[in-house]
Amino acid sequence: MEAPPIRVQDLYVRYTAKNGKSVDAVRNLSFEVQPGEIVGFLGPNGAGKSSTIKVLMGFVTELKGSAEIFGEPVGSLVAKAQTGYLPEVAMYYPFLTPMETLRLYGELQGLTGKALKTESEHLLELVGLGQAMTKQNRTLSKGMLQRVGIAQSLLGNPKLLILDEVTSGLDPVGRRELRDVLRARQAEGTTLFFSSHELSEVDMLCDRILLVNKGELIDERDMTGLKEHLRNYVLTYSGSATMLGLTDDWREEDSFKVARFPSKESLLEGISRIHQSSGAILDVVAEEGSLEDYFVEAVQAA
Amino acid sequence: MSARIRIYRALARGVVLESLRRKDLWVVAILGLLIMLTSGVLGFFGTSGLQMFIKDLGVTVLGAFATILAILTSSRVLPDEIKQRTLYPLLSRPITRLDLLVGKFIGSVLVSWIAFLMLSVMMAVALVTFKVGFEPIMLQYLLAKMMGLAVVCAVSIAFSAFMTPAAASTLSFILAFCSSMIVRALTVGYAGADDVSKWGFKALNAVIPQFSLFDLGSRAANLNWGLVPMWVIGFLFCYMVLYCSAMMSLAWLKFRKAAL
Repeated sequence: MEAPPIRVQDLYVRYTAKNGKSVDAVRNLSFEVQPGEIVGFLGPNGAGKSSTIKVLMGFVTELKGSAEIFGEPVGSLVAKAQTGYLPEVAMYYPFLTPMETLRLYGELQGLTGKALKTESEHLLELVGLGQAMTKQNRTLSKGMLQRVGIAQSLLGNPKLLILDEVTSGLDPVGRRELRDVLRARQAEGTTLFFSSHELSEVDMLCDRILLVNKGELIDERDMTGLKEHLRNYVLTYSGSATMLGLTDDWREEDSFKVARFPSKESLLEGISRIHQSSGAILDVVAEEGSLEDYFVEAVQAA
Repeated sequence: MSARIRIYRALARGVVLESLRRKDLWVVAILGLLIMLTSGVLGFFGTSGLQMFIKDLGVTVLGAFATILAILTSSRVLPDEIKQRTLYPLLSRPITRLDLLVGKFIGSVLVSWIAFLMLSVMMAVALVTFKVGFEPIMLQYLLAKMMGLAVVCAVSIAFSAFMTPAAASTLSFILAFCSSMIVRALTVGYAGADDVSKWGFKALNAVIPQFSLFDLGSRAANLNWGLVPMWVIGFLFCYMVLYCSAMMSLAWLKFRKAAL
């Protein structure tokens, strides 16, 4: 069986500050990412997201536990050869052009000659930098630099993409284009693991989310299940049926009653009660819950 | 082409391109023109006794400017990568941290060599234009100085792995420009030391970079001195290879496990 793109087991990362105090950036973290998945790695500031990503890229070497990319130790040449990476803050050599930047990274990736030139041009066109590929990086905007970063992360067609704050600096058009690019990569079999504070992006892109806080994994859900979990059903009806015991959120108006159900099962039970009491259903509305509310509640509960 | 060479070439080209576009080398070119003009003014008087002085001035300025550029480039090549965060996308590629160090070292050496050769060409033109001889010893001077510049770069990079770029360049400047003074001080100390202390002086002498060995400037400027025996050039080459390897190893020991 093929090793998963990412496997992290009992990971601890401890930093020692200059004053000698130790801080656990990551504590007892374990998770796996399966081939072809898009996994969002969420958490508040200082939750350990960037530290975990740095571990996955081999930038942090002093750690406890294990972390593997396709079964290879993180930081090994084999692991890195299969991984594309976008750092949190995209900084590229200011006096090089995007084309030269991609040439540099491409050659380090093992690409050469015409194949590298063709792929670089294709990727820069793909991220919308076709007109700016010969301008020096120092003249580009933050969003354009982010596009350079996205293009370099896609060089060599990596099997795994690790993207730290992927939509940072991008305008709405850029975000949509990026989503299209990432979805196209997923369709080709690429696995995506990314951190973001943009919950709307997470909502639109991810198959699964991992929620971390204070260095620990506090929740792990697939997006379909999470959306179902967050969905409420608002039922407006007439008749004598009460919803006591099914939901706390119900009220009586002059000629009708309104009840809000947290799940499909409780909604069906409510409907059944209305039928039994010969009442009438006036309206049923599904309210999509907000990922932001879930995020805030989960973090506060932890 | 082997993978390692391709990696070093790519990294080194990045350093050279950045330096060229940052106009570091243009500053050197302007300084070179100034040297040429100075030599020209002195040569204009046609005094034969001035020939040695012109050459001496030329090689001194040549060596000093190239050394300054070598130190300034190499002492910040690694810290700048970390500070500007350009290190992350580099190290996410299938290269080791040693590859990165070696590639940056080669790039720094190339920048200093390009600057040095630019200045040398200008000086050669000036010498020939103003009828001051350009003897073969000058070629030996250039070769030895280029090897010396490689050692300067290696030392600066090694220092920058342990301290701030400002501290690394200051220490490198002290070692590079006071090399002969330091060696003389050690020699004097050695002469008056007891047997145990002598070992200490010997060890210090072996550890500190002997930049003055690579400076054939006085020999090149003196019209009556001949070529340096080739075994000396061979020795300098071996010293350069060994010292640069030792400095790179030192930098790698510090950098290989550093949390980034």
